[in-house]
Amino acid sequence: MIFREVEDRDLISKARRGDVEAYNLLVSRWEKRVFNYLLRLVNHREDALDLCQEAFLKAYQNLPKLDDPERFSAWLFRIAHNEAFSLLRRRKPETEYEEPEAKGIGGRMLPIELSLAVESALKVLSDDQREAVLLKVYQGFKFEEMAVILDCPVSTVKSRVYTALDLLKTALAPTVLQK
Amino acid sequence: MNCGLGSSKPDWKAYVLGELDAKARREAEAHAASCVACQDEAGSLRITLDAMATLRDEELPRRIAFVSDKVFEPKWWQMFLKPSFAGAAAIAVAILVHAFVQPGAIRQADPVAQVDAAAIEARVSAEVEKRVQQRLNAAVNAAVDSAVNTAVTKAVADAHKRNQENTAQMLAAAERRYGQSTELMTRQVTQLYAMNTGLGVR
Repeated sequence: MIFREVEDRDLISKARRGDVEAYNLLVSRWEKRVFNYLLRLVNHREDALDLCQEAFLKAYQNLPKLDDPERFSAWLFRIAHNEAFSLLRRRKPETEYEEPEAKGIGGRMLPIELSLAVESALKVLSDDQREAVLLKVYQGFKFEEMAVILDCPVSTVKSRVYTALDLLKTALAPTVLQK
Repeated sequence: MNCGLGSSKPDWKAYVLGELDAKARREAEAHAASCVACQDEAGSLRITLDAMATLRDEELPRRIAFVSDKVFEPKWWQMFLKPSFAGAAAIAVAILVHAFVQPGAIRQADPVAQVDAAAIEARVSAEVEKRVQQRLNAAVNAAVDSAVNTAVTKAVADAHKRNQENTAQMLAAAERRYGQSTELMTRQVTQLYAMNTGLGVR
């Protein structure tokens, strides 16, 4: 992991000097994480892909403005966050998120069934709560990094994650207790 | 069952999310060893996170276009929007307009305008001279290229002719040598036949 970070830093400094291939390599490394973050946030594959594309393009255009290359990941997710919420704000009046189906799953759960239950449970959360969980649980960011990405105080980040975790625990309890 | 520590009980969410420092973790674990309520709380949070971990990352349906890909290259019409191109185009248009529209007006203009006209005439003369020079250079280059091409063609033809002559000479010499050696062999065979048959040598 340390080796990877050093390499990222090197690639960033090369990209900032105009080395396009260095940036392409950075894209290859981060595209899957950014795509999955966006996918779970907007719940639409094509939208997630478009947003991902846009985020990487904006990141490239704004790379000279990145003060600290060490914080590239948080900075990149900040851009992705802005793209996603711009879409969510546009989309909000038209579509409401579908409520997860309250279906009782009898017997022993298969991993795929558990995954579906988690997907449904994530949809119970508000956009802010879901994003907080995605960044914390699936992307492994620290609260301080999340505060940078989300541009809000650490206390707000913590509150969103904690509330989301309580809701998820409740939503998943019937499922995981059967397992 | 409630924890005896009340509101000062360990922050189990921070614990399972890896946000506690080493000291706080040790203290929380030490407390949980003797607190069933905290064991339950930490356990249920752990189970929830384990369930969430079953959600796997998806592969991208198609890869993200790289910055160096064609898709990011500007369209032909976008070239016109580039500041450098637009600036150059504007200057070119201004010069053309100036060259075609102004001359008539300059002759009737005030002294200040006449000064400008003189300057423009000087610029136009310089431009004409420059273009004539360019055309002259192009013509000279073309003539030189033509002469060079002719010379090269002739040299190649000469070399080809020389090669053909050399080949013919070598072929003739080889045929001559072949004839001589054939004649010699015939003579030797005849002598041997004569010696063996006693018919004498002619």
